[in-house]
Amino acid sequence: MMSDYLPPSFESARSSKITVSDLSVSYGNFVALRDLNLEIPHGQITALVGPSGCGKSTFLHSLNRLTDLIAGCRVRGRIRLDDNLEITDSATDVLALRRHIGMVFQKPNPFPQSIRRNFEIPLREHGALKSEIPEIIECCLKDVGLWDEVSDRLDRSAANLSGGQQQRLCIARALALNPKVILFDEPCSALDPLASAVVEDYIAELRGRITVVIVTHNLAQARRIADRLAVFWVREGAGTVVETGVASEIFKNQTDPDAKRYLSGERG
Amino acid sequence: MSRSSTDRFFGLILGGVAIFSGGLVLLIVGFLILGSFPILESGRLANLFTDETWRPGSDRDPQFGILPMLVASFLVTLLAIGIAAPLGVASSVFHHFYLSEQLRRWNRRMLELLAGVPSVVFGFWGLTVIVPAVNRIEPPGQSLLAAALVLGLMIVPTVALTSQAALGAIPNYQLLAAAGLGLGRGQTILNIALPASRNGIMGGILLAIARAVGETMAVVMVCGNIPEMPSSLFDPVRPVTATIALEMGYASSTHQALLFAAGLLLVLATGAIVGWLPFRRNENESAVG
Amino acid sequence: MSHSVVSARSRCLDWAFAIAGGGAAVGTLGTLAWIIWDLIRLGISGITWNFLTGEVESAGRGGGIGPVVVSTLLILGCCLVVAVPAGMGCAVWLSEYVQRGSRLSRAISGGVDLLASVPSIVFGLFGMTFFSQVLGLGFSILSGGLTLACMILPILVRTTLSALGNLPSDLRSGAAALGLSRITALQKVLLPAAMPGVLVGIALGVGRALSETAALVFTSGYSTRWPASLGESGRSLSVHIYDLAMNIPNGSSNASATALVLLILIFVINLTATGVADLWMRRLSATE
Repeated sequence: MMSDYLPPSFESARSSKITVSDLSVSYGNFVALRDLNLEIPHGQITALVGPSGCGKSTFLHSLNRLTDLIAGCRVRGRIRLDDNLEITDSATDVLALRRHIGMVFQKPNPFPQSIRRNFEIPLREHGALKSEIPEIIECCLKDVGLWDEVSDRLDRSAANLSGGQQQRLCIARALALNPKVILFDEPCSALDPLASAVVEDYIAELRGRITVVIVTHNLAQARRIADRLAVFWVREGAGTVVETGVASEIFKNQTDPDAKRYLSGERG
Repeated sequence: MSRSSTDRFFGLILGGVAIFSGGLVLLIVGFLILGSFPILESGRLANLFTDETWRPGSDRDPQFGILPMLVASFLVTLLAIGIAAPLGVASSVFHHFYLSEQLRRWNRRMLELLAGVPSVVFGFWGLTVIVPAVNRIEPPGQSLLAAALVLGLMIVPTVALTSQAALGAIPNYQLLAAAGLGLGRGQTILNIALPASRNGIMGGILLAIARAVGETMAVVMVCGNIPEMPSSLFDPVRPVTATIALEMGYASSTHQALLFAAGLLLVLATGAIVGWLPFRRNENESAVG
Repeated sequence: MSHSVVSARSRCLDWAFAIAGGGAAVGTLGTLAWIIWDLIRLGISGITWNFLTGEVESAGRGGGIGPVVVSTLLILGCCLVVAVPAGMGCAVWLSEYVQRGSRLSRAISGGVDLLASVPSIVFGLFGMTFFSQVLGLGFSILSGGLTLACMILPILVRTTLSALGNLPSDLRSGAAALGLSRITALQKVLLPAAMPGVLVGIALGVGRALSETAALVFTSGYSTRWPASLGESGRSLSVHIYDLAMNIPNGSSNASATALVLLILIFVINLTATGVADLWMRRLSATE
């Protein structure tokens, strides 16, 4: 148990790769994603970019099966974690899956309780020992640079933190479960520029330790932190990936005309 | 996997609780129907409206005339809402457009307290204050008027609180638009605010009516409890609820069935009023967009 | 149409609303003050320790209300033990387990709304036939408490449901993304966050239960003895007031004192609950 919860900074290469094949997601009659194929390599930062409404968030939500929460949402195709765990298989223990694939949302969503409880609730749920929790909290808060700011008020409400601090708390909370992958859904878009830069820096620091998938509307941000890039676009009424590869190369050279216009900042 | 199955188990229990809660009203209505079956069966249902007097316990010549009580219920409710609706709406307009934030909080809190005063306390107060006052004008004092006054006062908070909420829900841009057109406060209230919140205010009045129809304690203590057709405001009356409260303790056989039928009537009346509310709301929403 | 005429008319209208509205508001609150003042005037001298704890003597004219207070609390206890879990359970299921807008959930919440519209005297009829006769509980504290539980159930369902509905939805997805099971998410995250609303709902329910008379007369009965068990009859404060005022000559001074006790009890519960809820809300959303 103990080693299972050692925070990621103490362990190397716990990261995983994700293989998506022929993924389609629909809500009722509306097809959000169709026939999507993507490799997300381990330990790297993969940025998903593209205009609004082309299924980036839907894609992210299907990676940890948050799509289950949406009534009428249907997922077809295959998503595998490290070639051995079928994410899309309904028999997969979804709660354990979400432990391995963490998520940070657009709007910081700490539980409206103490900072400590924000860690204790998920850690106890996944079987961490009471005795090891303080150490995990300290490590993870240090990982996001929050330890010095909050170490003396762990029992105060997380709602009192600033937006940027709340978002870093949410990253730390996700880290506490020692995930192999963390999904970021526009993590900086609700923050002011300064807080946004701080959060971005800590995300960049996860490179190599954890696989990161990040949805962003900020191309400059994608350029700064992404190792790989996937450009989403609507084709025949449904979202799909039109361009993917190493970020620096794609920024230089695109084959898809829509991706070309989008990345060069032209208006569609 | 076990966590998911506890989840499912828990969900089943909660679902059972929920279905029970939603079905409880059916159980109640079922009991009322069952209880009133003897009178439905006896074929004397028409007597409820044709008999002139109410003597349901009599062995020799039972009389089932329930009409005076229905009329009493109707009149008491009508007068009470006639008192409560203007008072409640006017006070909510004052609350919303003339009071400071601080005073508003106080007003709302006081109204909530008034809403929390038990009906038996209203009844007792009516008995010691209103009834003697009415008695000074025209005896006996326990009368249609006394019941209407007490009941009217009692349901003012229902009207006022819902009207306040309705006025508070008017989108700010409408009021800004009125101000931008140079409308004064009085004009804004009359031409913008009241029409815009009409549905919410009507909803509050309907709720208050339902409450008045069903109220027992406050009424039974001040209405005089004589089951005859009233000819003036100062005559004692006996509404349906009071009849049930007064006679349930000793009623048997057909008499008891009659009381159940009266209860059924009450549920149907209040249910129709309250059931109509969401229907109205949906209609309006779809009309807007 | 000159400028000043319009504005004069407008000013008149403004004044008319101010006078009518102010009169109505002052009149309404003035009556509340009048009621309370009357009760205090007539009842305060009667409230002593001996009154609160003493036996009921000569049908209520003399002595105190000790057994009545105990019966009231027992009835309330029975009512809450059943109504709070049932109401919260129903609301949690409607909010978290079943698809919103589905036929089942609409039917259930419609049923709960209708239940809220049922007059209290009808609950009395139902309680008397179902709990007292069919289930054989007789005139008893238990029967009265269960009847009241049915009556306040809709209040608890509604308030819990709106408290859960007002929670930001990212709290739910946040809990799910951390792999929390539904029970854990409810127990540790959602219900604690919704607690202020639930508390207010419980306070409203308690107020309604304490106020109720009509539903208790035929279920928990009239007994003025010290209750020895939940199976015995025992009258509530409200029934005591009714009986003293209506059926006992010269009972009105003790009725006033009892009414004052009941009113104070209800006001204190009411104000405490809203105060606690306010405080809780402020602490949670200290900065936003």
